[in-house]
Amino acid sequence: MSLQSALEKLASYRTNNTRDSREVFRQGVFVLKSGKTSNLGDDGWAFLEQLTLASIDVGRLDVADQCLKQLGERFPDSPRVDVLNGIRMEATESPSTVLSYYDELMNMDPSNAAVWKRRISVLRRIGRVEKAVEELNEFLDTFYTDAEGWLELADIFASCNQYNFALQALAHVLLLTPQNPFAFLQYAETAYTAGDIPLALKMFLVVIDMNDREDEDTIPLGISVRAWWGIKLCTRQLIASTSSYTSLSNTAVPKNIKLIDELATERVLTAYSGEQGVQTRSLVSTWMSGR
Amino acid sequence: MSANAVSLYLDPQIRDWVLFPITLVMILVGFLRHYVVVLLQSPPKKLPRAAIREQRALARAQILRATAVHSPIPPQTYTSISNYLSDAFATGAYLKDGPPKGDGPSTAPNPMTDPAAMDGMMAGMKTQMVMMVPQMIIMEQTVKLPFPLTLGFKSMLQRGIETPDMDVRWVSSLSWYFLNFFGLNGLYRLVLGNDNSADSSQSMTASPFAGGATAAGPQDYAKLFKTEKDNLEFSEGLYNWVGKDVEDRVLRKYGKLAPAY
Repeated sequence: MSLQSALEKLASYRTNNTRDSREVFRQGVFVLKSGKTSNLGDDGWAFLEQLTLASIDVGRLDVADQCLKQLGERFPDSPRVDVLNGIRMEATESPSTVLSYYDELMNMDPSNAAVWKRRISVLRRIGRVEKAVEELNEFLDTFYTDAEGWLELADIFASCNQYNFALQALAHVLLLTPQNPFAFLQYAETAYTAGDIPLALKMFLVVIDMNDREDEDTIPLGISVRAWWGIKLCTRQLIASTSSYTSLSNTAVPKNIKLIDELATERVLTAYSGEQGVQTRSLVSTWMSGR
Repeated sequence: MSANAVSLYLDPQIRDWVLFPITLVMILVGFLRHYVVVLLQSPPKKLPRAAIREQRALARAQILRATAVHSPIPPQTYTSISNYLSDAFATGAYLKDGPPKGDGPSTAPNPMTDPAAMDGMMAGMKTQMVMMVPQMIIMEQTVKLPFPLTLGFKSMLQRGIETPDMDVRWVSSLSWYFLNFFGLNGLYRLVLGNDNSADSSQSMTASPFAGGATAAGPQDYAKLFKTEKDNLEFSEGLYNWVGKDVEDRVLRKYGKLAPAY
């Protein structure tokens, strides 16, 4: 392992936002031991930040402290280092100590989004979900464009079985990232769990519609397999319940539901046609034929 | 001026004691200016939370409108978000100072009365002063360029000398100063990095008032919110859910339905 390749790998992790902490730690300690961090220039500080987070992740707090010391000496008043210190405290200190540290930071600068988010995550971790939701709502009212925040809110609601609220939070995620099929898939699955089957069906179909790479001749892969399964589950329920299905969002059941059902069956079976799928294929076919 | 005679005798001492010093001083002044500006720069002012909220409220509506034609969210959710934002804009819930009390005549805020804006202007003025000083200490001398030039360069090279007959190859020191002034940018970039503040030609054009007032100056958010409310209503007419005919699109894609055209 050369220094150059290690640095390149770490830099690509930083740009791609990869959190492979074990690997980052392994490479990072190698770079740190070589003692070349000081002549990396501005990249050196970003590297130290990355290594701090990774070593907290893998539990090597001694390395994290070493990095934090260097960062603290260089940037004494930086809010970014403050947040890192907070994360380091979360690893060992009691939640109430960390909360009071974050409160202090928030008092100094009420608009520090990173500290605010950490605070909310601590609140959620110690079980004060109500307070966390309240704070998160206020946070998102100020920093609307934080898609991660909306996802977290949806997750909190879903964990409390409040699927309709979760749907509303996910709607904002869709608005913020309308190009992300995974957001649509999550919306569809949440709608399915909430019992709004027609809406879920529509959203599953949108996921399929967004996928340009697949058509009738290809085998569904990855996200499409999940979406086709979702469609199949929805059509099965909609066909089984002969009466008009009530939908909270007033979404109408498609006219050609039978055709969609046929197509979904076909696509799901195609997904299990490859070499790996052969064993499970018979199971899937049995499930498909059972009404 | 006769063409054959040597027109002027240039004392080599002028070259040594005027031109090289001008160039050298220009370069050093550039470096000095860079570091003084770095020292004087006040850190970006932190906005209070309410101000950020006010500033970003418009973005919420814009994000909603941006995808209205192929909106990812179902009709009911769309209308509820749209109505919520319209109401909030109408009542001024997002305004920094809370909803307006009475309906007095709303005046555009004056940049001079807002202390936050004044701070920004002061920072601009401070750096501006640093730029102005070197322009005042320039005298006039002449130098001869080693190559011939056309008459068009006269105004560029002989600034400050009102002699129509003099050969264009003669350059006044004031002009030499200006040539350096615009020409040294490349050197500064090489030495100080890309976003240095040594190059005075850029900062000459930027007045502290012009920069502050248009870019970050106070805006009448109440008025902007009113406009945004109309835009929201307009977008509601354009709204179309991406999931509206999605089943037909998917069925057609997989050849289960005849193509629409």
